[in-house]
Amino acid sequence: MTHTSKRILMNKIIMTLSTLSAIIGMGFLFWILGVLVINGVDALSWNIFSQEGAPPGYENSGLKHALIGQLFLIGIATLVGVPLGILAGTYLSEYGQKSALAETIRDISDIMMSAPSIVIGAFVYAIIVAPMGHFSGWAGSIALTIIMLPIILRTTDDMLNLVPSTLREAAFALGAPKYKVIIQVVYRGAKAGILTGVLLGVARVAGETAPLLFTSFNDNFLNTNMNEPMASLTVTMYNYATSPYEDWQKLGWAAAFILSMFILALNVLGRLFLLKKKGK
Amino acid sequence: MSAIIDKIFAYSSKFIAVSILLLVAWIFTVLLQHSLESMATSGFDFVTQTKWAPNLEKFGALPAIYGSVISTFLAMILAVPLAIGVAIYLSELAPAKLKGPVGVSIELLAAIPSVIYGMWGLFYFVPIIRDHVGGIGISMLTAGIVLSIMILPFMAAVTRDAMNTTPDILKESAYALGGTKWDVIKDVIIPYAKAGIIGSFILALGRAIGETMAVTFVMGNVHQISTDLTAPATSIPVTLANEFTEADSGLYYSSLFELSLLLLVISFTIISIAKFYFLRRARIGQ
Amino acid sequence: MATIIDVTEDKALEVKDFEFTYAGNEKPSVNKLTMPIAKNSITALIGPSGCGKTTLLRCFNRIHDLYPNNKYSGEILFKGRNILQPKEDLIHLRTQIGMIFQKPTAFPMSIFDNVAYGLRLQGMKNKTELQDRVEKALKDAAIWREVHERLKADANGLSGGQQQRLCIARAIAVEPEVLLFDEPTSALDPISTSGIEELVVELKERVSIIIVTHNMQQAARVSDYTGFMYLGDMIELGRTEDIFVTPSEKLTEEYITGKFG
Ligand SMILES: Nc1ncnc2c1ncn2[C@@H]1O[C@H](COP(=O)(O)OP(=O)(O)O)[C@@H](O)[C@H]1O
Ligand SMILES: [Mg+2]
Repeated sequence: MTHTSKRILMNKIIMTLSTLSAIIGMGFLFWILGVLVINGVDALSWNIFSQEGAPPGYENSGLKHALIGQLFLIGIATLVGVPLGILAGTYLSEYGQKSALAETIRDISDIMMSAPSIVIGAFVYAIIVAPMGHFSGWAGSIALTIIMLPIILRTTDDMLNLVPSTLREAAFALGAPKYKVIIQVVYRGAKAGILTGVLLGVARVAGETAPLLFTSFNDNFLNTNMNEPMASLTVTMYNYATSPYEDWQKLGWAAAFILSMFILALNVLGRLFLLKKKGK
Repeated sequence: MSAIIDKIFAYSSKFIAVSILLLVAWIFTVLLQHSLESMATSGFDFVTQTKWAPNLEKFGALPAIYGSVISTFLAMILAVPLAIGVAIYLSELAPAKLKGPVGVSIELLAAIPSVIYGMWGLFYFVPIIRDHVGGIGISMLTAGIVLSIMILPFMAAVTRDAMNTTPDILKESAYALGGTKWDVIKDVIIPYAKAGIIGSFILALGRAIGETMAVTFVMGNVHQISTDLTAPATSIPVTLANEFTEADSGLYYSSLFELSLLLLVISFTIISIAKFYFLRRARIGQ
Repeated sequence: MATIIDVTEDKALEVKDFEFTYAGNEKPSVNKLTMPIAKNSITALIGPSGCGKTTLLRCFNRIHDLYPNNKYSGEILFKGRNILQPKEDLIHLRTQIGMIFQKPTAFPMSIFDNVAYGLRLQGMKNKTELQDRVEKALKDAAIWREVHERLKADANGLSGGQQQRLCIARAIAVEPEVLLFDEPTSALDPISTSGIEELVVELKERVSIIIVTHNMQQAARVSDYTGFMYLGDMIELGRTEDIFVTPSEKLTEEYITGKFG
């Protein structure tokens, strides 16, 4: 066998293995999605949306409490995290730019994005749950806000950076003050990108479970008081899935299905916004 | 008037940006404060002792540390070759029609929350391990496998991105000397993208070691050091997830906070190495 | 309408009724082309940007095949065979027809390993043989004196001009019969440029050269034959002095006198 034919053989082997890896990767994707869809659709019913949790064995049980709790938790985290994140990102891109301070904030935010979220839960437990003496929706929302902040901040920073500086200069040349240039010109130019960042940030915290385990904790019934423990889809899913009761496990699958579809939809939407922007 | 608003806008945005730094410092401080009792009581025994018995006020975290290290290690050896394979496929091999859809699917797989992976692992992977490998299915091995599947899409996507930074004419030059695809990949693309690839692997490692939900379902939270991979085990995040709401004494709490601090320090270190050493070099290299 | 002369030398390559169409394009980027490439001579391809020079050059080593669905038709004869036939062994073809790119493309490895790369691909393992061949190639590329003390150093530490000569050394190390240059000096300063030009002229003793350039002076300085392309057509191929002094085609004359381009 000549050296070159050995190389050609080796090439074939590696390319086959690589194709195989891709097939395996896609296999897991279809497996997981398939399981979600089959179990989820099977478990879906009107009750899921109209009924609260119930002890195992009851017929009329649903996820209304978890769905509404989840909306509260994410909603408040979004209301707080998005404006703060956008403002901080604005500082980095428009004021701090390449300064040491801005670079440090960027680096630390990048690290925070990959840091273990359960530790954020422990932190919020220490500063809120322990002093108050009980779990609460607020604590959960705050934990999610902390996780969301660096994501929004970094995407905003990146997206504002993509706005050509000539656009800013043109606005300044007309005598506009900086905040007006930012709000009326820079934000407008980066709208699609910022929106994508927000969608991806929301999608990311929507799937967070660990930081809620000991902040918002859980509740098997509908509660809209942020001062009390609050159900979330993720923690409910965890509790139900690890329970020995079949009907609870089924509810767990329904929660998993709804949550995944929500998150995938946000991701797809976010991509579409970016694509549309690029298309222009 | 405008000038005042301008100042307010500038300062408030700066204030919030700087608060991020303060927040991180605050997180470290709070965790440290709450760990002090445990540090004073257990000292170095905390990381060297194997007995974790809250009812006896004994807190040896070695089994949790061991579990974190082994499960992450397992996840990495399973995921790294697959991730490279998928990345090669996506960047060099896939027909144009498949490149986009497969790439996006892999990225979407990375967006699925880890709790779903955990749940899937519990219902579909645990029985496979139990019936075909041994043990009760809840085990270190299961945790490692589920973890590897969870980090695979992220690793594959970033490895592909790193490989895609190789300029076309560099690849073409190697083909122009009679190289095969694999020659070009191993001699040009991988060396060129090396820093980026290693950086993303280490970043994935940093994420895996702090991952809670993907492993909590399938690991068992048993504080033991066993060389039997099919035996139940625990890890730092698994211990936290299972025991935080059960802790009933100051020392127990404090020990859990020390575990959190330990986890945060380990992740911070790993992620910083990835970011500052490898990924920054990768960026400069390009 | 086109004036294509025949060459007096032997032919290194013969293009016959050749067309090339990029994937997804309706119109070919190289139209119905028939031309000879003279052996041990330098053929320059000139013409305005986008006229198809690079496209044509990249057909000779079929580097276009790296990307799917590009279409060739007609023939390119090399050593008596049509290299466009599907069964052509591209790995072997590319060791016989080398290529130098617009920008230096030093691989991320040492200077020595860069030059040895093609030889190693062919299975050369013997250390002294490798060393001899690398040294010879570096000498032939007129860069030996600058690098012989740091062969183990990273090739990316060299200057642009040095890197381009390293790439030439890498290409000639495998002793190809034809070398394709695609604007090899467009990324270089004037001094490095004249160094590369001298080198190209010396190399024609051993290889046949096709060089794409957007710089007419360069074509006039180095080449024996010049082909002028416009919108995918070869308008005129002739001896370089004829093309620049007494072109047969009006379009050629307008181009070389700077009326467009
Ligand atoms: N990869 C490609 N796909 C489709 N069309 C291409 C591609 N590369 C070049 N072209 C088109 O082919 C024509 C010739 O381009 P090229 O050979 O690069 O010109 P030149 O080298 O003479 O400047 C141009 O019209 C260009 O737009
Ligand atoms: Mg060109």
